[in-house]
Parts: sequence; structure tokens; C-alpha cells
Amino acid sequence: MVKKANSFEIFNHWLLAVSFFILTISGYAFLFHLEQVGSVFGGFNLMKDIHNWAGVVFGVSLVFSIFNYLPVSLKFTSDDFAWFMKGGGYLSKRSVTVPPQDELNAGQKLYYLVVLLTGIGISVSGIVIWLRPVAQNVNTWVLFSHLVHNITFDVMVVAIPVHIYLATLANPGTFRIMVYGTVPLSWAKKRHAKWVQRMGF
Amino acid sequence: MWKRHKGVNAMTQARKSLLISPELCIGCRGCQTACKSWNQLPGQKTSNTGTFQNPPDLTATLFNMIRYVELPSEANMMRWLFVSRRCMHCGDAGCMKICPAPGALYRTKEGAVAFNKEKCIGCKLCVAGCPFDVPRFDEKDKVTKCHLCFDRIAEGLQPACAKTCPTGAIRYGERDSMIGSAKKAGYAKVYGDTDLDGLGAVYAFKDAPKLYGLSEKPEIPESVVFWHKVLKPLAYIGLGGAVAASLIHYVAIGPKKDEEVKKDE
Repeated sequence: MVKKANSFEIFNHWLLAVSFFILTISGYAFLFHLEQVGSVFGGFNLMKDIHNWAGVVFGVSLVFSIFNYLPVSLKFTSDDFAWFMKGGGYLSKRSVTVPPQDELNAGQKLYYLVVLLTGIGISVSGIVIWLRPVAQNVNTWVLFSHLVHNITFDVMVVAIPVHIYLATLANPGTFRIMVYGTVPLSWAKKRHAKWVQRMGF
Repeated sequence: MWKRHKGVNAMTQARKSLLISPELCIGCRGCQTACKSWNQLPGQKTSNTGTFQNPPDLTATLFNMIRYVELPSEANMMRWLFVSRRCMHCGDAGCMKICPAPGALYRTKEGAVAFNKEKCIGCKLCVAGCPFDVPRFDEKDKVTKCHLCFDRIAEGLQPACAKTCPTGAIRYGERDSMIGSAKKAGYAKVYGDTDLDGLGAVYAFKDAPKLYGLSEKPEIPESVVFWHKVLKPLAYIGLGGAVAASLIHYVAIGPKKDEEVKKDE
């Protein structure tokens, strides 16, 4: 076994995951007036407070996630492009050999950049709607933020379920990173060969 | 799964409305006072800014007001327009559309857009969604605005402003007959007749609406319409699509094959 994630990364990822679920479920309830869901949260008034503060948790842990994922996510190499050309090996029933990948594979890098950008957008716009800037054209600020909040929401409710699928059902053995932080060396060699080489496992 | 936006078209009984005729208004502001009296709204301190318009704008404790418009005139020293300003009770209401809390803003059976502070969550999106800059929020962040005296009209009474108006500048009744009487009085085009699925406060204007401080063609902000028509459906199409695509992938292609990977070292 080799260590893929330290305990801080695991904890922070769970903060992101749990706050995301709270935010998304309450978000859909606001969007479509789901009164039963509101009741589960103790009414829409309480749900609004829970939504806002879960947003704070999400935003703060998103900032901390930068240290874990951003540096490697910004390093796009020719292997990453080749990985995308092969669809990451996900588009065929047969076992496909993909170019060697770093600590995060090309898809994970792209996914992180998408989540980071939409996450910043949804957090900042949420704060604008919540706290309302003191400005002459406050309504324009709020309407623009409402638009950003909903566009980024739409992106996230597509990207994050796919991420959850890829990290669980689609890749057996991956989910243990979020629990133990460790993976078998053979697994790491196959999926993150460059990382294994760099770390000297 | 979710309730469709309840527009005024879903109403079962004849829609009621206010008919406001600035030509008949003498600017006495009895409507402002009657509204405060019936709704038990406190007065507020203002300062003289050189106009009779007072308070200068709608507030959390001022649901209606007279806008005093001064225009140059050849015949007189000036031309004075008195325009009663309040919630228009739009048939297609931007505030209701953007509101995330069910029941916070609702339509009465007379067609008024009323509010329930207990259900309001204080997000203030209605303030931004209104085409007429009408909703305000109180010290507890809850929505306040003209509700057409929903408690009076439910009992068959007139709204306080219409009841008190001494000249008939504010009248209340069945919307069709209000518009009909304005047309009979010689107003070819009644403001609010068809805009936003028809306003619940229609105006008999002699001149262009702009002179009275109202936009020629009031519309719900474009971003709110785009959100309602595109982004909202995308929210469930996107999530459903992502889940469905994952399931189809799992069934059709299956999880990644790692035959050569052993369970452990």
C-alpha cells in the first residue's frame, strides 16, 4: 500500500462532499419549491440559513483544496492530451492502455479546474446575494450574481455526479482513498505511473 | 414533482384591479395616509428636498405614494402630474417568479400579489426581480409592499387607498370594467392593459408613460426570464442526464478492467 492522500486531504474532501450534498438538495428545494424537502430541513427559513452556512464551509474547504490539487492540475502535458484522445480508456469494454499519468489523471485535472472555477463563482455570487453590496445599482449586482449562481449550479450538478460515479462504481478500489488514503502499489503503478516514479515508491 | 408557476391565467374568478387616473388626482395623499392607517404602518421622518413628493420613495413602511412630476407648460407656470405609485400586481410577476420560498409571495383569488412574512426567508431576490422597483424589506429582512389590502378585498371591501380617494383617481373593481370605463372616458390606450400578462393596477394616461415615470414597456429582467426558461430546466435535465449517462456507461461498458491488479501487495 502507498499513501495517496493524507488525513487533512481526506477530511477536507469530506467537508466538500457533505456541504455539496446539503447545498444541492436545499438548492433544488429553493429552485422548484419542494416543500417536503423544506420540511426535512426544518422549514424554508431554517433551510436558507443552513444553505448559507454550508456555502461558507464549501467555499472555505474549496480554498484549502487548492493546496492539494491545483499545482498538479495546472500541469497539462502531451500525455494528458493523449489521455483525452483515448477517452481515458472509459469508452471501450476492452482494457485500453492510456498514457502514463501523474498524481491526478488528465480528466481529474480538468475536473478540478472546473470545480474550482465554478466553486469560486457559486461561492462569491452566493455571498453577494446573501449580504447585498452597498451600491447604487445593487439590483444589477444581485441579478448578475443570481445568474452566475444558477449557471455554476447547472455545471456542478452535471460534473459532480459524474465525478462520484468515476470514483466509485466505475473504478473499483478508488473510493478507499477517501477512507484510508492508501492504494495498492500495483493500482497506483497502473493509474498514476508518473506519480509513482516521481515519488520513488 | 414541483408546482408550476401560478400565473394570473390560472385564476378562477374575475380579476380585480385598480384604475388610476392621474388627471383626476389632486395630490392630497389621502391614499398614502389611509394605507398607513389600515396597515398600521408607522410614519417616518423625512426632510424637505424642494418637492411635495414625500417620502421621496417607497419604503418598508410606505406601500403607496404619490409621485409629483413637474413638467414645463406654456399655459401655466408648470404642469403637475400626480401619479399613484405602488405594487402593480403584475399578471406575470417577476417577484413571484424569482422567489425561492413557496407561499412567501402568492396570488389572491382577486389577482393581487400578496405576501406572507412567515414564509418569506428574507433572501430579497424579489427586490431585484421586480420590473417596477417596488418590493422593500423590513428590519427583519422580510418582504413588504402593497398587497392590495388582501384582507379587505377578500371581504368584498375596497382597498384603503381607493376607499379614501375623494376624486375617483384611484378606483377598484373588476379589471375588465375598469379598463372599459377608462376607454369610455376617452383613453385610447390604458397602461398595463396587456403588459406582463396585464397589470393589476392600470393607468389612464393622457401622455406617454415616460412622463409619469413609468417605462414604455415594462419587462421582467432578461436574466430572470433566461433563468426561468433555460437554467431551471437544465438543472434537472443536467442532473438526470449525468446520472443516466453514468448508469448507461456502467451497464454498457462497465467498470474499468484491472485484471492484472491484485488485491494487495
